Amino acid sequence: MNRPGNRRLKSPHLDMNPMVDMAFLLVTFFLLATTFKVPEQAYVQLPYATVDVDIPEQRMLTITIDQGGKIYLHLSNRESRPEWIKRMAMSYDLILEDAKINTFSELPGFGMSFEELIPHLGKERTERIKVKPTGIPAESDNNELADWVVLARAVQPGLRVAIKADQETPYRYIDKVIKTLTSNNILRFNLVTEKRDQYE
Amino acid sequence: MSEIDQFEEFGNPIKEGRKIQKAGKQTVFTDMNAMVDLAFLLLTFFMLTTTMVKPKIMEVVMPVPKDEDRPADVQPVRESRAISILPLPDGKLYLYQGLSAETVTEVAYGKEGVREKLQNLLPTIDEPVVLIKPHPDSNFRNLVDILDEMNILGVNRYALDDFSEIDREILAEAGIDIIENLTTEDQ
Repeated sequence: MNRPGNRRLKSPHLDMNPMVDMAFLLVTFFLLATTFKVPEQAYVQLPYATVDVDIPEQRMLTITIDQGGKIYLHLSNRESRPEWIKRMAMSYDLILEDAKINTFSELPGFGMSFEELIPHLGKERTERIKVKPTGIPAESDNNELADWVVLARAVQPGLRVAIKADQETPYRYIDKVIKTLTSNNILRFNLVTEKRDQYE
Repeated sequence: MSEIDQFEEFGNPIKEGRKIQKAGKQTVFTDMNAMVDLAFLLLTFFMLTTTMVKPKIMEVVMPVPKDEDRPADVQPVRESRAISILPLPDGKLYLYQGLSAETVTEVAYGKEGVREKLQNLLPTIDEPVVLIKPHPDSNFRNLVDILDEMNILGVNRYALDDFSEIDREILAEAGIDIIENLTTEDQ
């Protein structure tokens, strides 16, 4: 009877095709642009610097130092990790089971002494997540960090070493790591930073 | 009213054509709402998880250690050429030339502070060497800031050194107290 009323009853039809196209385009973009971060045991807030050199993804040994001075290690090349831990175990006169070596290769990094690491590798995944890392010892009388670094260089030719520390990590802990590196003749290393503008 | 509708239909050939098509062929209509919901869900997820900033690396080259038991207070650099930069705890930064306490000056981090100071100071010295001696209680950001200034200024001759007793004495002579963080010193 009355036309305005009739019109309102009709369901409004909106052409959503362009929107859907757009949404899928963006999904595809983000899907391809995403690089999934490996879960890390230590969260560090990187300091800012003007350098613009991307971190290499291969042949990197990253030494992470958290705010409390705990040290963690991460070797980028997965295929070198079994040899790495085998040689480390050899220096302790240990021969590890293949299962433990495999578990070690799958770890995204570790931050504990060798003594703690071996039983840790035997645990179930769910148990491993709960363990609080204690840091790799780097004291002058018990410097495991030095052993790991030296062996990593032996198993991975052309290895680069990077120090990744929190903005607020006291220099005393950084110094300990730098001293360990220099006393093992690693005089060239990298600091991991985030990009900032020069004129800020 | 229907008369007017009829009239409209007859008067509009396009509308008429559509009506005929609709009646003759059934258009398949799929409900795309679920798909759209999913697309937006994925979009939101990837947008939030993506980190666009990639970490960068800064190369540091340390000088070759001459001897393991080299006394820490021996300056390997000639006094007249040395500029020492001392990052102290609580974001303080001091700078001095050679070994003289008179030249101790407090500078700020950044463009107007240490960068400007070094820009003025470096050309006045023949073959300057910058010694960076961070205090154990200064933090990593302070060190990176100074190393970054070296890169910006293009200083090639710089070295990372220990904060020694001599530096402590020079600062004391200049009347600067360092607030030592005793709790962490004990560790």
